[in-house]
Amino acid sequence: MSANAIFGLSGCGLLSLAVVATLIRLQRLPVRVRLAVILAAALAVFVPLGDLSAAAYVRGVTGDVSMTTLVLAGAACLAQLTGRTLIGQRDLRALCWLLMLAAALLYPFALGWTQFDPYALGYGSIEFLTSLLLITLAACWARLYVIVFIFVAAALAYLAGAYESRNLWDYLIDPLVSVYALFCLGVGLRRRHPVLAHR
Amino acid sequence: MASAASSEGTGVAVGWPRWVSLIALAPVFVGLYVRVLSAPSPGGFVPAQAAARAASLAEPFYGEQLLPNNTTRSVHSAAAAEISGGRLRAFWYGGSREGAADVAIYTSVHSPLDGTWSPERIVISREFAQRHLQRYVRKLGNPVVGRDRSGRLCLFFVSVSLGGWAGSAVNLTVSEDEGETWSPPRRLIASPFFNISTLVKGAPLRFSDGTMGLPVYHELLGKFGELLRLDAEGHAIRKTRLSWGQSSLQPVIVPRSEKEAVGFMRHAGDPPNRILIVRTADGGVHWSPTAKTVLPNPNAAIGSVLLADGPLLLAFNNAEENREDLSLALSTDFGKTWRIAHRFEGVSGSPGAPVPEYSYPWIMQDQAGDVHLLYTWGRTRIKHVRFNRAWLESRR
Repeated sequence: MSANAIFGLSGCGLLSLAVVATLIRLQRLPVRVRLAVILAAALAVFVPLGDLSAAAYVRGVTGDVSMTTLVLAGAACLAQLTGRTLIGQRDLRALCWLLMLAAALLYPFALGWTQFDPYALGYGSIEFLTSLLLITLAACWARLYVIVFIFVAAALAYLAGAYESRNLWDYLIDPLVSVYALFCLGVGLRRRHPVLAHR
Repeated sequence: MASAASSEGTGVAVGWPRWVSLIALAPVFVGLYVRVLSAPSPGGFVPAQAAARAASLAEPFYGEQLLPNNTTRSVHSAAAAEISGGRLRAFWYGGSREGAADVAIYTSVHSPLDGTWSPERIVISREFAQRHLQRYVRKLGNPVVGRDRSGRLCLFFVSVSLGGWAGSAVNLTVSEDEGETWSPPRRLIASPFFNISTLVKGAPLRFSDGTMGLPVYHELLGKFGELLRLDAEGHAIRKTRLSWGQSSLQPVIVPRSEKEAVGFMRHAGDPPNRILIVRTADGGVHWSPTAKTVLPNPNAAIGSVLLADGPLLLAFNNAEENREDLSLALSTDFGKTWRIAHRFEGVSGSPGAPVPEYSYPWIMQDQAGDVHLLYTWGRTRIKHVRFNRAWLESRR
C-alpha cells in the first residue's frame, strides 16, 4: 500500500471515528469504556473486510479529507475521550468564516461557472501563496492560533506530498468541512439571534 | 465534531505565544515559495512525429474488421496505441451493460503481419482497481492511452464510486512492457469537490518540458473541458480550462506546432447541434472561446488526428440527432473549412449492427503512415478501420 493511501485512509478513518464518538456522545461514558469503544471503533474502521476497510469505503465517497477536517476530527476525538476542549469558540468561529469565504470562492467557479478557475491557483501561484501568507499573519496577529496551526499542518502535508493531490487547496479545504462550517455558523447565529429560530 | 470547541470560548491553543507561530510559519512559507518559484515554466506541445514512411504505399488500402468479443454483451469507448513491431494495442470497456459492476477494461493486440486481433483479455477489473486504489469502486468507464516521455504506455480510465458518470474520477496505470503487465492504478486528483466528475475521452499528448497533457471534462452541474498537465509520476500539477458552462465536453486536442493546437468538443447545449472548436497559440496556456463549427454533432464523442505533413482528419457522427452515421471529415487549413471524405457507417443498403449506433471514434496514425479508426459498433463490438494515405488521396 502506498504512503498516499495510508495517509488518505488514516484521515478518512479519523473522520469516521470523530463522527462515531460525537454521535454517541462518548464523553458521558466512564473513561475506560470510552477507550474500549474508541478502540473497537478503530478496529471496525481500519481492519479490512475482504479487500477494503470501512475507511476505504468512506474514502471512495469523500476522497482524501483536508488537514482542516483532520484537525477538527482529531480535536473532536480528543474532546470526547478526555473531556478536554482543544479549540475555543473564538477560533472555531473565525475558522468557520474563513472556510465559508474560501468555499464560496472555490466551489462555484471550480464547477465551471466561468472561465476563471481558482482551483488551478492551488497548483502553484505566487498570488495565492501571498494571500495565504497574509491571512496566516493576520490570524497570528489576532491570536487565532488554530488557523495558524491548520495552515502550517496543511502546508507541511502539501510539501511532503502526503496525499495524491499536488494542489494546495485539497490540503486546506474540502466540501465536508465547508458544510460543517456552514452548520456551525448557522447554529451560532441562531443562538446569538434567537428571533431567527422562530421565523 | 461540534464538541471540539469549548462553550467558554477558550481552548488550550489560545495560550501559544505569537513568536512560536511566527517561527513555525517562516520555514513553511519559505518552502512553499521555493516550490512555486523553482517550478519550470510550462513547455509547448510536442506534435506527433512525422511518420517515417508516410504515404509510402502507392496502392490505396482500406480494410475493416470487428475486434474479438467472446466475453461481454456490451462494449464501448475504444482507445489504442501503437506498440513495438508496428502492432496496435486497443483498449475498451465491456460488461453485461454500461455501468454494470462486471464492467472491466479489456485489451487486444493487432498484428500487422497477419492482420488479426488477439483474443481479448482483462487489463483492469473493478475489484483490481478498488484493491489498489484503496477506495470502493462501483463501476469502470472510458479508457484512453498514450505514451509518456519515457516511452511507457499510460492507460487512464474512469471509475465511479457513487452515483452516475457525473461522479467519475480518473485513474492511471502504467506499463513498461508494451501493455503485457501494468502497475497498480493510482488516482488523479483534478477537482476540489470530492474529486468527482472528471472523465476522459481524448488522447493524451506530450509537452516539451516532459509533462503529459490529458484532456478531461467535467459533468457535475457544469459540462466543460480542461487540459491537465501531469508530471512524470502522473500527478496533476497544472491545469487549464478549455471551456466553461454547461454545454461542452469530451475534448480532443490536436497540436500542430509547439505553440499552436486546435481542440474539438462534443456539444451538449442548445441547437444548432454542432461540434465545438477552441484554439490556442501559446502552447495551451490560453484558449479561445468555444465556437461552433459547421459540422453537426448529436451530443456524441469525436476523434481527430493531424496526419504527418497532411490534412487534419475528424471522425464524427454526421447528424444532429442520432449516432447512425459515422463519417470522416478532412480539413487542409487546420479546421477552418471541412469536406466529407468518407462515410464509414450509415450507408443505405450496407449491413449494420443490431443496434444502429456507431460512436466514440478513436483515430490515430501509426509510424508507417497508416490511419487507424476504432469505434463502438452497435454497442456489441469494437470496429477497426485501417486505411492509408493513398486511399485518402483517392477520396479527394
